[in-house]
Amino acid sequence: MKKILLDYANTFAYTVIGLVFGLAFFLLFINFYHMQELDTRVDVVSYNANNKTQVEEKIAIIKNNISVYNQTAYNGPLNIYGLNTVQIKLQNCLEILESEEMMRYLELTEIGIKDSYHFSLDFKNKILNDCLVMQIKSIFNTDTVATLPNFNVIKPYVELNLDTLLGSVDYIQSNIENSDHYHFNTDNNRANFFNLVDDSYAGVMNNYQSSLDLMVEVSNWYRSIVIGG
Amino acid sequence: MKKIFNGLFYFFKFILLIAAFGLTLFVLIRMNVRLEKNMISILPELIPFVILLIIFIINMAFKQVGVIKNLFYNLTCCLVFATIICVALRAVFDTNMVLNEKYGYGIDFNFFDNFIAYIKIMLYGLLIANILFMFREKDDIKSNELNEV
Repeated sequence: MKKILLDYANTFAYTVIGLVFGLAFFLLFINFYHMQELDTRVDVVSYNANNKTQVEEKIAIIKNNISVYNQTAYNGPLNIYGLNTVQIKLQNCLEILESEEMMRYLELTEIGIKDSYHFSLDFKNKILNDCLVMQIKSIFNTDTVATLPNFNVIKPYVELNLDTLLGSVDYIQSNIENSDHYHFNTDNNRANFFNLVDDSYAGVMNNYQSSLDLMVEVSNWYRSIVIGG
Repeated sequence: MKKIFNGLFYFFKFILLIAAFGLTLFVLIRMNVRLEKNMISILPELIPFVILLIIFIINMAFKQVGVIKNLFYNLTCCLVFATIICVALRAVFDTNMVLNEKYGYGIDFNFFDNFIAYIKIMLYGLLIANILFMFREKDDIKSNELNEV
């Protein structure tokens, strides 16, 4: 009887060891896989070249649009304080857009997960907070600007776009931060669902372009009222 | 060949156990310093390491062949400790995990914390199996002695 019990104990011991072996094997190799996955480098030479061209074109449009107003030469009927405010705020935004911190992302030839993460953080801090909220949103909360023509047309358009853009990169940032929790994934389903490095970078870049489009629209409005006025 | 591998794994399991224990202790101490928690709270995580080390020493001292010559057991021990070392090293050195940088502590506690439960499961599994293999050995010895009589 004792021998049978000990035989069972031996079998149980091998079962436990087998399970522990399986768990350790799984965890060790999934760690290597996860490490490799996070170390992925993506070539973005042509992608960034296209985006850089588009960004430079949009910046040139904004510059051209805001340069139509000159306070000393302006003789129109519009409130010059309002026109000055819009020009200064758009100028401040341009400085942020052209800053070295933002332009360096467009010059990268290869990106990793940290580049995507830093891009999403810088986009949030500099473009969304410092530019869109502190400059563009504040334009439309100024009394002198409210007296300018078509203010009621452009204001809801800007506010709607701002609301969309403000939360646009939160999910990308969360996704990258949550990538510390590893899970079993294969190259196939990674390609089909979400490539962390590549798609995160592209997601932020799309929002960056949308922010620029919004600024182009505001500067177009500004140009039209200055010339029309 | 089996004997050589067994000897190799038997030797490495001691070194890897000490390395895994040291790294786990380092990460847990840093974690508790950050949280300003009492150091006693890390004891439950360290107890299985200590018990396992004591049992390994008992295996060695009493020359318990059922454990010492068990290739599968020694291999599993090496694999478990290697996994613990790998995770602890990643928590410290894998800077691709962005929370490591975000919180600025130099160690990704979030990553390591997820793994503590697995460490305990694996270490207690090794303990249970070791104790059961000890009984098996006694039984075999007694049976052999009876047969000889």
